[in-house]
Amino acid sequence: MRILLAEDDPLLGDGLRAGLRQLGFQVDWVRDGDAAERELRSEPYAAAVLDLGLPRKDGLDVLAAVRRAGVSLPVLVLTARDAVPDRIRGLDTGADDYVVKPVDLDELAARLRALVRRAHGQPQECLSAQDVVLDPAARTVLQGGQPVTLSTREFDLLHVLMLNAGRVLSREQLEQQLYSWGREVESNAVEVHVHHLRRKLGAALIQTVRGVGYMLARAAAA
Amino acid sequence: MKLAGAPHSLQGRLLALVLGMVLAVWLTTATLTWFDVRGELDELLDGHLAQAAALLVVQQARAFDDEHDGVDAPVLHRYAPKVAFQVFHEGRLVMRSANAPAEPMLAPGAPMKKGFASVRIDGSAWRVFTALGAERDIRVYVGEQEASRASILWAILRSTLGPMLIALPLLGLGVWWAVLRGVAPLRRLGRALGERQPDVLTPVELGDTPAEMAPMLDALNGLFGRIGTLLESERRFTADAAHELRTPIAAIRAQAQVALAETDDGLRRHALHNTLAGCDRATHLVEQLLTLSRLEASAAPARQLVDLGLLARRVVAEVAPRAVAKHQEIELDAAPGCALGGDEALLAVLVRNLVDNAVRYSPPSARIKVRVARQATGAVELVVEDSGPGLAEADLQRLGERFFRVPGSAESGSGLGWSIVRRIAAAHRLELHAQASAELGGLAVRVLGQPGTASV
Repeated sequence: MRILLAEDDPLLGDGLRAGLRQLGFQVDWVRDGDAAERELRSEPYAAAVLDLGLPRKDGLDVLAAVRRAGVSLPVLVLTARDAVPDRIRGLDTGADDYVVKPVDLDELAARLRALVRRAHGQPQECLSAQDVVLDPAARTVLQGGQPVTLSTREFDLLHVLMLNAGRVLSREQLEQQLYSWGREVESNAVEVHVHHLRRKLGAALIQTVRGVGYMLARAAAA
Repeated sequence: MKLAGAPHSLQGRLLALVLGMVLAVWLTTATLTWFDVRGELDELLDGHLAQAAALLVVQQARAFDDEHDGVDAPVLHRYAPKVAFQVFHEGRLVMRSANAPAEPMLAPGAPMKKGFASVRIDGSAWRVFTALGAERDIRVYVGEQEASRASILWAILRSTLGPMLIALPLLGLGVWWAVLRGVAPLRRLGRALGERQPDVLTPVELGDTPAEMAPMLDALNGLFGRIGTLLESERRFTADAAHELRTPIAAIRAQAQVALAETDDGLRRHALHNTLAGCDRATHLVEQLLTLSRLEASAAPARQLVDLGLLARRVVAEVAPRAVAKHQEIELDAAPGCALGGDEALLAVLVRNLVDNAVRYSPPSARIKVRVARQATGAVELVVEDSGPGLAEADLQRLGERFFRVPGSAESGSGLGWSIVRRIAAAHRLELHAQASAELGGLAVRVLGQPGTASV
């Protein structure tokens, strides 16, 4: 899952980025409000972690602007402002969660996963489609009850497809969801990983829609 | 007046003082009246004695033909038994009153004062007047028992001072009530203070404060105000500290968790270094907060003679390694004999904060110049300037706001440095100017102070 981290403090930002990356997230880190707003409006993130005390533009202003522009991704506000009026203001401006520093990295990751689940209408933590069960927290995949070993990229790709089960995703969309900046994406990387997934989980799992993209059906095609 | 075991209440004191004063005055008056009345009485009665004697002399001188034995004069007045007379003619008793002895009341050679003498006759004290007739050797003695005088005296005093004696307890009661009423505002204040909650610091209002209590009440309310301000600034300090420490602590936590979960050795070491850097930062912040809190709480700084040049040299030496690590060029130009009066530790904090800011907020390879010199006006000047990005006009205005950090700065600062600099400058009556540096292009901060011990 690709998330945006907006935090101006260098030590904290570095720590959060490294930590979330360890937990399986792709993290883009911006350090001021203008950059945060710009990225939120242009790039497809699964979720965002937003500090409020950002230079150039305050986090709340960024959030308000982004919501006004119709960006609906889940936003978790991470801040030192803990007073109740601040929390109320943050939530009313459009935050989906309000967390006060310091925060445990595992808890932060769990909250982000919960937000993403909710955004995709997925009440349970584990995603299931056909005979595949994917646990985003444990980063495990079971097929027919048997564990399947996947690489990081394969897991991420399967995760995105299962989150959007029943919807067709283009190659570009998949690339954007999977890769943070600065990573060189080979032109057929997605195809290669889809091929690997088909090999490990069965060809019928992921459908190719020619000229459009890929889809993972919830129920097996009859 | 302090009596052993005297009451310690104001009311008791007032009561004792007022009643004591009244009693003393009354006793003095009574005593004076006594002496006065007795004196007058003596004169009056002496006068009567003399007159009676003279009368007798005249009478005897005129109707002195037949020789009688002592005739007893009739008792004519209720005081008469207390008065006696004798008439001697050529040494022989001619007439006397019923209660007079046969011997002369007064021995012929006895001492007299204007004819009066006090003698003892038959165990009683008598006042005797001797009158001598001009012819025929007539000698008249008229005497009066002193006891009778005393009883008259007492009768007079009784009628004069008696009512006062009865009035005294009534007066005492009246005074007690008056004092009670008079002291009422004090009791009201005591009650008002006693009813307050211990943490209430609003001013005490008393409806009708007497003039003597007004200064005390003002001082009390002033004290409440000062305590309130002190508590408020402590509360604010605690809140600020807690708030501002959150991000540094969150950074430490995040980095430590990353280190724990990191399998790559190099990345783990990097995370652990970052953890330590976070701890240093938190420590720095706490120290700045404590300094600021102490500055806010204290009044005037200590007065020492501080050589600013030496101080600057010491501070720059401490900060230089960090500048060198950032490949910055830092230099000091300190003229000798530039002394300021003030607290050496606080002035060191001021200089350190300014130089520290210059190092922190200037990019690598920047130039930083620190200068200490005397102006033509005699003022001592410290200038810290850098070739960094400087500050926009709007930001220059906001310098010194607590926790204000220039937006867009990637460096970690506490945002308190300027608040501290401003406070120390204010306490030492130093002028503080921040402007663009003409020479280096960045920020130039000038601190000006009057030399010597006149600063504080």
